[in-house]
Amino acid sequence: MGIKSFSRARAIHVMLVYTGGCNGCDIEIVNSILSPRFDAEQYKVFLTWNPREADVLVVTGPVTHLNRKPLEAIYEAIPNPKLVVAAGSCALMGGVYKNCHGDIPSEEIEGPVENVIPVNAKIPGCAVRPQDVLAGVVSLLPTLLDAD
Amino acid sequence: MFENILTNPIFAVVITVLVCFIISTLLPGIERKYIHARIQQRIGPPVTSPGIMAPLKFMFKENVKVSSPVPGLYKSLPVICFIVVLCVMIALTPQAYMIPALASLVAIVGFLKVEEICYVLMGALSKSVMSVNMPFPDQIKGAAHNNANRSFIEDISAKRSLRMITYGSFPLYLALFAPVTAAGSIFLQDIVSFQQVNGPFLFTVSGGIAAIVFFIGYMIILNEYPFSIIKAKSDVIEGPYMEYAAKYRAVVVITRGFFMFVLGAIFSVLFIGVPPTIMSWGILINIAVALIFVFMMGIFSAFSPVFTNRQLLPTILGATLLGILSIVLGLL
Amino acid sequence: MDEKVPKSNIIETEIPMGTVHPAALEPYRVRLFVEDEIVQEAEITIGVNHRGIERIMEGLPVEKANALTEKICGICSNSHIWNSCRTAEMGLNIEIPERAEYIRVIMGELERLHSHFLYLAHGCEVLSHETFSMRVFYMREIVMELLAMIGGNRVQYGCSVLGGVRPRCDLDEAKLLRLKNDMDTIEENLTGFVDRFMADSILLSRVTGIGVLPQKQAIKLAVTGPTLRATGVARDLRTTMFEYDNFDFNVITQPDGDVKSNLIMRALESFESIKIIRQAIANIPEGKVVNRDWEMFDTDIVQSYIEVPRGTLYHSYRLEGGRVRHSIIRTPSMANIGAMQYACIGDQITDAQLCIVQCDPCFTCTDRAIEIIRR
Repeated sequence: MGIKSFSRARAIHVMLVYTGGCNGCDIEIVNSILSPRFDAEQYKVFLTWNPREADVLVVTGPVTHLNRKPLEAIYEAIPNPKLVVAAGSCALMGGVYKNCHGDIPSEEIEGPVENVIPVNAKIPGCAVRPQDVLAGVVSLLPTLLDAD
Repeated sequence: MFENILTNPIFAVVITVLVCFIISTLLPGIERKYIHARIQQRIGPPVTSPGIMAPLKFMFKENVKVSSPVPGLYKSLPVICFIVVLCVMIALTPQAYMIPALASLVAIVGFLKVEEICYVLMGALSKSVMSVNMPFPDQIKGAAHNNANRSFIEDISAKRSLRMITYGSFPLYLALFAPVTAAGSIFLQDIVSFQQVNGPFLFTVSGGIAAIVFFIGYMIILNEYPFSIIKAKSDVIEGPYMEYAAKYRAVVVITRGFFMFVLGAIFSVLFIGVPPTIMSWGILINIAVALIFVFMMGIFSAFSPVFTNRQLLPTILGATLLGILSIVLGLL
Repeated sequence: MDEKVPKSNIIETEIPMGTVHPAALEPYRVRLFVEDEIVQEAEITIGVNHRGIERIMEGLPVEKANALTEKICGICSNSHIWNSCRTAEMGLNIEIPERAEYIRVIMGELERLHSHFLYLAHGCEVLSHETFSMRVFYMREIVMELLAMIGGNRVQYGCSVLGGVRPRCDLDEAKLLRLKNDMDTIEENLTGFVDRFMADSILLSRVTGIGVLPQKQAIKLAVTGPTLRATGVARDLRTTMFEYDNFDFNVITQPDGDVKSNLIMRALESFESIKIIRQAIANIPEGKVVNRDWEMFDTDIVQSYIEVPRGTLYHSYRLEGGRVRHSIIRTPSMANIGAMQYACIGDQITDAQLCIVQCDPCFTCTDRAIEIIRR
């Protein structure tokens, strides 16, 4: 293991972008980092709000129209190597908003996230559990370590 | 031959600075793990993560095109900051006392001012994606004040740094000049030798007050939590550092840790009279002082919310008055 | 206190924040018009997470529509499904077993606890007081575990169904005992937190007199919920709801309408919620939890108002062949947006997000009935 992989494994900066879900996933993810019970920092995962600092972008929610461009802009702002984690069933497949409708389908959903930006890992769940979020981010480690 | 190298002053300075630098990279981790995390009843990150591993990781990231009107200047600013902090460190070593122009308080104050001006420039030149540049249709028909002049959140941060230069860092500079009143000289050599004869300045009435003022100034200049208006998370996110990525961010992170150590070293030179040098056991005192300062700062910042201008002004005013008191006491 | 007017109308510059910002848990855009770091006017742009819930509800079978309303909001999900079921039950004259009503109240109050704790934690986080924020999040974790114990999931628990609650959510002796013990723990921890908070003079100086919303203005803006009660108006829909007939609780009010009043308001209301849950545990009747004995018929438009953690929630729809028609949902944050914009005026930029947070915004709830014009 070179010094590059070694240092990458010991400091992972995660940025969270919510793109119009129901808030459930957002709060669970913030919870998994802010609550002392889960405390992501002990696994060397740090929460940041600056795209220039981030390595991993965690996206929740189906991407609504007004959120598409901000999401793309933030994705562009992250320096390489960068990885994207889609968390929650809305981010994976549009959730109930895209797939479960009566007479009129919703026209507001641009998602799933895959349609907008490339996704490296998917965390299922409605809402995602904090344990799953940590597991998902940590499961990206091999990809992150081998990237240039 | 070998003895020649050991006694060579340049060699001694290089080794001293290197040792101090290595220790300083641990300081952010110590603050995060042993103070903040302990107070918040969690395990916290490994000690090496925030200070050593994060900059190393940033080193290996790909550089991005900085969104700034003057990218060249913007990118050079953290390097300037680092060089300034390095110069202060070199000025503190006893070997540098041969150059009186460098090893004097005026030079140190000058270097610290350069550091502060860098924050203003950083804030003014950073144009991040998080505010105006966010592609969002908010200036539309029906919106309020469609023709208003628009500012980036970093612009507020630049204005605040300017405010910090004008009055915010007063306590620190007053505290720096308090030992001068006792020693009667602005040269570090005289201050150190005065204290080696008469005992540490810290244990006089004037010195005790000045030490408190120095600590407040230390937190202000490091932008640590109660005083972090230029990079408060609740409005300006990261303020001047918003656009730094990859290598430049690594320099920013390293500079912060090093700056913590150097300010601790300034204290030990001015208030205890122990200059940092690898040639004596006194360096242990320097390290201990730096650690104590980090511990105190960690405890303070864990228990206080961010101040707005409303709380900041009285705090700084109070600290400034205390600083003046200590100088007056020293003169009497 | 009368209406607050900005000291001058000079607008030096505009600072937009969002849609992604650390102080906001949800995507929204706020434009602050400032002069010398003092906010003169604020404009909140919502519609960022408009997903068209009412539109996709049109023509869904009522059971499915109820489940969909839960996905309106991840914080007060139970309130939405509760009110949606309540609407259908009122229209179809379904009798709800008493035990189910008690369980619904327990869930509603647990949700109020977790929403208020989230408010306190988020408030401390916006104040950049990480330590207090973490302490409240730790307390909140107990409530989340209880919700997961009853409903099987931490966030969307889907407790109410037409005619009662899901059989999974029935409370046996062991669960009731755990609920009882955890209420004691929460009360102890919350008391400790409130004492610690009130003794912290730095924090109090930071929140007193910030984001003031005068009572007159609050009534004028039709503010609801705890935000209204924090200005001194004792208006709580729970006093008129038949579910709460058997419970004894106080309507908490605070005088000032600033951030301090709001924070204390939420903390005191949490104690009332604990009181209600204790009463429910003590008096919970035996019997079945769901009434399957009802018939579907077409109804007129039925309206239902309930008190949720953030204010008054309104659901209304018409049933036609078992399907939902003309659904309208009005959430509390919709009414409170005016208060958020108003509270920002005259405060520092650093406090602007705090002033928005003090009204307990939930923009994911709110973003529904908005017409988006695409260009």
